[in-house]
Amino acid sequence: MSTRVITFFSELYDSRNVLHQLVAQQLILRYRRTVLGYLWTLINPLLMMSVMAVVFSALFKADLQTFALFLFAGMIPWNFFSSVVTQSGTAFINNEGLIKKIYIPKALFPLSIASALLIDSLFSFIALFAIIIALGGTISWALLFLPVSYALLFVFAMGFGMIMSVATVFFRDLQYVMAIAMQALFFLTPILYKPDALAGRTKWLIEINPVTPFIALFRAPLIDASLPSSDAILQATMIAVITIIVGLTFFLRQEKKVVFRL
Amino acid sequence: MSSIHVEDLSIKFLLYHDRSPSLKDYVANVFKRNARSSSSDFWALRNVSFNIEAGDRVGIVGHNGAGKSTLLKALCRVYESSEGNISVVGRIAPLLEIGAGFHPEFTGRENIYLNGSILGYSKQQLKDIEPEVIAFAELKEFIDTPVKYYSTGMYMRLAFSLATAMHPDILVLDEIFAGGDAAFMTKAKTRMYDLIDKANIMIMVSHDHQLVSSLCNRVIWMDHGRLVRDGPPEEIIPEYLGGGAHA
Repeated sequence: MSTRVITFFSELYDSRNVLHQLVAQQLILRYRRTVLGYLWTLINPLLMMSVMAVVFSALFKADLQTFALFLFAGMIPWNFFSSVVTQSGTAFINNEGLIKKIYIPKALFPLSIASALLIDSLFSFIALFAIIIALGGTISWALLFLPVSYALLFVFAMGFGMIMSVATVFFRDLQYVMAIAMQALFFLTPILYKPDALAGRTKWLIEINPVTPFIALFRAPLIDASLPSSDAILQATMIAVITIIVGLTFFLRQEKKVVFRL
Repeated sequence: MSSIHVEDLSIKFLLYHDRSPSLKDYVANVFKRNARSSSSDFWALRNVSFNIEAGDRVGIVGHNGAGKSTLLKALCRVYESSEGNISVVGRIAPLLEIGAGFHPEFTGRENIYLNGSILGYSKQQLKDIEPEVIAFAELKEFIDTPVKYYSTGMYMRLAFSLATAMHPDILVLDEIFAGGDAAFMTKAKTRMYDLIDKANIMIMVSHDHQLVSSLCNRVIWMDHGRLVRDGPPEEIIPEYLGGGAHA
């Protein structure tokens, strides 16, 4: 097993050129021949979040400015995570032609999806950050923690993505199941509300939700100008490590079957 | 020195009878004890063994469905062996399907870089070969046009020029002597022969027996996933064409 892991990573490293090309392909193709081009990547989430901020701040009778800040900080990690999980489902299916003809390390496909989405996320983060500052967010040293937040989130999402990419080849239905599951998970994750707002019978759902600590990793530096609680950091690290180990193990066991099932 | 060792190679495919099994079928099959399986095994290759050493020029012959292409794809690692082992020493070039990995929305130049990196060329190598590839494909004025606007011939020329731009240790060919007009065909053949000359090992699948006889010093005859005969072309090809009944 351990030699397999080593060959896995050395092969990935050797094909970093392909990864670079696949990421560029996704970023370039999406908006080729559109007038606004890459700006759509920023406009889309910004508009969506603005609508949500207006509606839910009115619903929760909260101050629009404070609520918008709160929402944006939670939506950045959520959008990245949910896009990685859902889009990884098509990683092999959309590249069937290539996989059946040429050997390239299969992990490149989910990895390229996650990498392209990370770049998207960083850009929309910069745009949102400008808004957060304009709305009265504070700049503090705690912001320096955000690269760590992103790294942990990436590892976590990647673990899920690797499982999804393979599992969807075996059960095509999974794409649709996951679309619904992610919607449900969105409402069970403290993004629109504070983690302690949901009391009673549904409380445990929030507590076992693995995404919850990752939201905190972003919210604390952005909103409270403080480092995330050590609890949140510890939980997020453990969840990320466990997810990537499970994801990698599953992937290494199953990837060879993928070409026969496409 | 390159070499290829194949030992007891078997590859199994699952044949789905009507459609791929959905989650529903899966759940349904849990309850139906004696449900007919929606798939059956098919052995595309069965216990194939051979060794290829440096200098060998191997032609693989056999009827459709004999497992020739599957064997090539197994050598190029597209298919993982179900049983047995393959060990390959040397850089193997996947020339199975030229143009695989081309993206229609990308320009010819972008595709050189995209497809080239998939073929295993480094960025620097691609920069070096780019002018030569464009010149050979005769696509100077169209190289910055998306390839979806290319004619079939233009597409083939670009794919061929790129795939044959570097000299691999082990050359694997699956009938790719086609494409382009007469003038390009002549040029392409010269380039192909040059590539074969410089390769340490060449393995090709072809139904053109004359071509196999002229290019290869060894022929492997496949039938129904099994290796029937392995030997010099002047011996094997007449036997194969004679339709020698083999059990």
